[in-house]
Amino acid sequence: MLERDCIQSRGFQNTEKDGQIVGFQFTIRSLYYRGLWLSQLRPATVWVNTEEFGPETITWTIKRQTYTHEEMAKCGDIHWGLLDLATINVEKPGGLGPGLYEIRLSYTYSASYLPPRIDTLLGNQTHVRKLVMV
Amino acid sequence: MRIDKPGAKRGVSVFSYAGDYGVTMQLEDILADIHNMGARGLEILANSHIPDYPHPSEAWVERWFELLNKFDLVPVEYGHWVDSRLYAGRELTTEESLAMLVRDFKIAHMLGFRILRTKLGVIDETLTPVQNWKEFIQAALPYAEKYDVVMCPEIHEPTTLDSAMVQEYIEFIEQTGTKHFGLNIDFGIFREKKLPKDDEKGRPPFRHSRPEELGLYLPYVYCCHAKFIEMSDDLEELYIPYERIVSVLEEHNWDGYLLSEYEGFHRGEPGYASDQVRRHQAMLKRLIGE
Repeated sequence: MLERDCIQSRGFQNTEKDGQIVGFQFTIRSLYYRGLWLSQLRPATVWVNTEEFGPETITWTIKRQTYTHEEMAKCGDIHWGLLDLATINVEKPGGLGPGLYEIRLSYTYSASYLPPRIDTLLGNQTHVRKLVMV
Repeated sequence: MRIDKPGAKRGVSVFSYAGDYGVTMQLEDILADIHNMGARGLEILANSHIPDYPHPSEAWVERWFELLNKFDLVPVEYGHWVDSRLYAGRELTTEESLAMLVRDFKIAHMLGFRILRTKLGVIDETLTPVQNWKEFIQAALPYAEKYDVVMCPEIHEPTTLDSAMVQEYIEFIEQTGTKHFGLNIDFGIFREKKLPKDDEKGRPPFRHSRPEELGLYLPYVYCCHAKFIEMSDDLEELYIPYERIVSVLEEHNWDGYLLSEYEGFHRGEPGYASDQVRRHQAMLKRLIGE
C-alpha cells in the first residue's frame, strides 16, 4: 500500500555516482485518478526549503527506466500507473545532510477529455511534505 | 453464475474508490465491497486499474478472472481514452488515434468486456470532440467487430442531450448502421442543483437535461454512469432526480447496467466511497424494484 500523500516518506535519500554524492531523490505516487502517459507530463520543479531546482536538474525514474523531461515528452506509450511509484532524481553535488527538509514538487499534465484550458491547471497544486534525510 | 434478467441492473464503477485504491484498498477489497452490496456489474478504468497497463501480465489476467468468479461479478464496462493531446503542441493523427483504440479493444476483449466507455479528446468548453473523430471511429469499426466491443462516448455534463454533439453521434450510428458505436449516459447531465464548479470562470452557463428527454436516445444507450454527488441518511440522492430517471428507463424497458459512480465532495479522499456507494446501491435497489 502507498501513503496517501503524493510525496512518499520512503525513498528520500542521496544518490551516488562513481563514489560521489551527486544529488538526492524521493518517490511520489500519481494523485491523478488514471495515471499518466509520460508524454502528458509537463516539466517538474522541486524546492527544498527555499532552494529551487528547475526541470533541467531533474530526471524521473518510472518502471526502472530513468528519463529527462525531453525524453518523457516523446514517450506516449509508457504509462505511469497508480500503483507505480515514480522516483524524482535531483542533481545537487554533495546531496543533502541528515535532517528534516520541506520538499515541494510541482508539475502539470494534459487531459484531452477536458477543455484545453485545463491542461495548465490540472495538477497545478504544489505537493508539500516534510521528509527526514537519515 | 446467475443469468442476467432484462431491465435495469446494478453495478459499480471502481472509479468511485479513487481515494482508496492503492492507499487503503486493493482491487480485491473493492470488488469484495461491491459484491457485498449485491451489485454485479463492474466498470474498471483501464489506465487506472490494470497494473502494467497497457501490458498486463498473464498472472494478473488469470487473477482477474479468479476475482470475477470469486465475487460473482460481470465485467460490464471498460473505460479508456483517446488522448488527443498526448504530445505537447499537436493533436494525435487519425492513425495514432486508431492504434490507441485497437490496443484497448484487445485488452478489453481479453478481460471479458463488451461495452467500452470511449473517452474522446475535446476542443472546447462544451466538450465538442476532436475534428477527426469520425475518421478514426469509422476506421476502428472493423476492429470493434473483430474484438466484439461497442465504443460508447460518455455524454457528460456540461453536455446536454439536445446538443449538436449527441445529434452527430446518432447520425453516425444511423448512417453507418453500426452496432459497435453507441452512448454511455452519465446521469450528471440531469443534475438540477448547482455545484461550486458551475460558477467557475470559463464554464458555459449552467444547463441540464430532463430525464423525460432520455427516452428518445435509449435505443443507442448501452450503459449508464449512475453518477451521484451526495447520498443522504434517508438514502436519497440530493442533486440528481433518480426517481424520474429510473421511471423513464422502466417505461422504455431499457436493458443494461447502472454503474454507481461517486463524484462527490470527498472524491479522492480515503474512507468515503464505500459508505456513499453502499447508500447509492440501496437507493437503486429500491428504485428498480429488485
